[in-house]
Amino acid sequence: MKKILIAISLLFLAKLNYAQDLAKKIPANAFTVATIKGDNVFKLMFVKDFNESFVGKKLLTETSKSLDKNFTSIEDFGINLEKNMYYFNQLSDSITYNCFLIPLKDATKFEKLINDKDKKIKTEGDVRTMILPDSSSIIKWNNSMMYFVTGSIKSSFFADSINSARYGIKEIRYQNNYDDVAMADSAVMVTDSAMVSTTEPVVEVVAPPVAEGWKVHPPLKKQTINKSKTKATKSTKKKPAKKKSAKKKVIIKPKKTEEVTEVEITDSPIMGDQDAIDSTMEMTQTGKPDDQYDEYQKERAEQDAKKKQLAFVWMTAQADKIFNSTYESIETNKSYTASLDNKAIAELWVSSLQEVYNSIAPEFGTYGKAGLMQGYGSLNAKLFMDDKSFRISTGLELAKEQADAYKKIMNRKLNKNFLKYVNSEKAIGFMGYSIDTKAYLEEFPKLMKQTYGSFLGKNMEEEIELGTDLFSLLLDEEAVSKVIKGDALFVINGLNTKDVTYTTYEYDDDYKQKEVTKTKKETLPDFLFMFSSEDNRLMNKLIKYGINKNYVTVNNNIYKIEEKKSPVDIYFMIKDGIVFFGNSLTEMQSISNNSFNTSISKAHKTLLAKNNFSFLFNAKNLVGKVPTEEIGGEETAKKFNETLGKMGNVYMISNPIKGNMVSADICAEIPNGHENALKYLFSLIENAAK
Amino acid sequence: MNLKQFYKLLLLIVLIPILSSCFEVIEEITMRNDGTGDVVLTINLSQSKTKVASVMLLDSVQGYKVPSKQKIQQELNEAVAYLKKSPGITNVKSTSDFNNYIATIGFTFKDVSNINNITKNILAQQKIKATNTSSYSYNKATKTFSRKYQATNTTKTEFNKLKSKDKAVFNGATYTSVYRFESPVTSTTNPASNLSKSKKAVMFKSSIMDLINGKINVSNQIQLSK
Repeated sequence: MKKILIAISLLFLAKLNYAQDLAKKIPANAFTVATIKGDNVFKLMFVKDFNESFVGKKLLTETSKSLDKNFTSIEDFGINLEKNMYYFNQLSDSITYNCFLIPLKDATKFEKLINDKDKKIKTEGDVRTMILPDSSSIIKWNNSMMYFVTGSIKSSFFADSINSARYGIKEIRYQNNYDDVAMADSAVMVTDSAMVSTTEPVVEVVAPPVAEGWKVHPPLKKQTINKSKTKATKSTKKKPAKKKSAKKKVIIKPKKTEEVTEVEITDSPIMGDQDAIDSTMEMTQTGKPDDQYDEYQKERAEQDAKKKQLAFVWMTAQADKIFNSTYESIETNKSYTASLDNKAIAELWVSSLQEVYNSIAPEFGTYGKAGLMQGYGSLNAKLFMDDKSFRISTGLELAKEQADAYKKIMNRKLNKNFLKYVNSEKAIGFMGYSIDTKAYLEEFPKLMKQTYGSFLGKNMEEEIELGTDLFSLLLDEEAVSKVIKGDALFVINGLNTKDVTYTTYEYDDDYKQKEVTKTKKETLPDFLFMFSSEDNRLMNKLIKYGINKNYVTVNNNIYKIEEKKSPVDIYFMIKDGIVFFGNSLTEMQSISNNSFNTSISKAHKTLLAKNNFSFLFNAKNLVGKVPTEEIGGEETAKKFNETLGKMGNVYMISNPIKGNMVSADICAEIPNGHENALKYLFSLIENAAK
Repeated sequence: MNLKQFYKLLLLIVLIPILSSCFEVIEEITMRNDGTGDVVLTINLSQSKTKVASVMLLDSVQGYKVPSKQKIQQELNEAVAYLKKSPGITNVKSTSDFNNYIATIGFTFKDVSNINNITKNILAQQKIKATNTSSYSYNKATKTFSRKYQATNTTKTEFNKLKSKDKAVFNGATYTSVYRFESPVTSTTNPASNLSKSKKAVMFKSSIMDLINGKINVSNQIQLSK
């Protein structure tokens, strides 16, 4: 019973801890979430160590200097270093919010970071707010957290006259005065819809922008001026009526607003009128481009200021919401929670790759058709650091159909016989991959269609269908997959020295020049490339052709490519269903007569055999192997060897598909003698700064 | 991955230890007593042919565009065409060997001073700023041949601006000059130069790095017996 109680209380505690995490403050519709996990970071390096490190000292002295204070520890910033810090963003069609959520331990310490000479901080209960000088961002905090938000209006949103009119923003185009009329016209037409749609975030703060907005639309006066233009007259007819109805709608608001608007209307139009007069005159005279440009600049600045003001109003509302209301948090998002890993020190999650594309698509104009990147879901990346390595693990969620296609494609393991030809003691690097060629050829057109289909437009679907069929018709997937099964390995089994001849001159006693041929040693990496092939008929035909045309020579089943341009000799052969390419004749010969010295390490074997894709670079095997004179002098050689010596193994692998997730890891091992990757990173930074 | 891409990848790996290369620049002048003579300039990259061949297969290396064989040949042809038009220059010839990467250019001059402006102009034509003050002269009366070369600091500063990787290209590069005469040489002013057994030829050898750094001067005044 006692145990159960303890268990329950532990659970409760855990839950409590969990609940305290600032993730609960991140709205469920956050688009990107990035986390730095304070507790995991400071497990690798104590705060004290951090303060004493080069980076820590630099940070402390620099902040001390710039704020004219004396910080001795990062704890002086008041941040709670044991908790997670978050960045997230929220996208809408009209504004993008970039937000930071930082846990606080000591709010008074944090406040000291802020220079509040002008007493800009406003306090409401325990929530304090500060607006940054140009109103571009807001900082809000209480005793346990700090929130920073900055918003940027999307230009594409206001390029749409319907939207811009709703918020009283004109889109200014240089030398395009007709637009004024057109815009004003369309603006009025939309009024109704603007008032109806209440789902927009704006609604909460609708009053200020709308009230202010109306002043942009010219009153009757302007229309009389425009009379002369037929185009304008047309719209004049429409306008008054609509205008009225629009106004009515505005007047729904409390009377105060109405008064304000009216005052503004009488005030601002004068400006507008002058513009109108100016521009019409300019239109007829087609002169004074400078003035016109100034005018354009001025108007633009005005409109930008309006947009900024709007952004600020929206931001304020968003920040208030974070502090004062409850809402569904990101923790309810399964994709997000599934992406988390307790051990990671930093995490990144993007809700949907497809959405990323769609969100930036409007900025591309006509080409930005939605629907591209279909089937690509959330994306995540995690950074791990431990006593052995740095590791970045990335994952991409696919639609089921796509994931199934990839599963089929990835359903192949590397030919085990390849592993015989890796010499781990000497290998500088290798890259192996295995896919099912047949499945790839079958699935490829489908994947292409899914990813890029909508790019070509809906009307093209039939053509794409045709193309896909044609592709399948032309290629016999089965046959191709027999020639190239889909697995390959590229390995560099160390360096080799070979003799190279060159031409130079000698001079006799009378300094008469004589051309001589000398030899010198050159160190080159020995590479070996192999792929599986069941059906060698095509290869053999190619070889026969090559021999007939003198492109290829043969010696004991080892073929040599006769290519003068190539700086190295390239040999190839076919043995046991494997096609080999390489530049070392000795290596080729040893493969041919089964005398190749196999010595693959267990680690390398796992890396290659278990993954569809793997890449490894082992810099250590290069250290001191290249003769100094070939690198270009002692100094360069020393630097070269030092850099390589500091590098551990670097490798990259693709993991098997789990569920609908494809994932890959990049890992850099740290050299011996370092406690953990974070400390090693700090020492690297310190060295680089020296 | 198509074969070309594969080849490029391969080359990059081959190029790992790279770009210090050895090359020779040779300048031969044969002077006749009447003041006329022949010049042959040779650039020999043969010692680095593996690397050059690799580089030639790439589009660019270390941020520099690699010229194609055709482009190099074209530049050489342009230089020949230019020489043919130059006053006092006749019998212009050039060779190029793209297997060993050796190129030569030779011509006959009426007076050795004809060369002086040529080098400068050719370099200018190739948009290379010539910063050295280099000149040849031959005095028929006194039978003195003189080669003047003033290493300027600009060369050194310009060179120091290069990235260390690029500088490495010049490590191991050599410069050789051979001046041949009809009459025996009685004296030379440059202690680094050597006189042949027959006393009719003077040779000077140096590393290009030393020339750039101004450690060694190629200036020489050669007195022939009267």
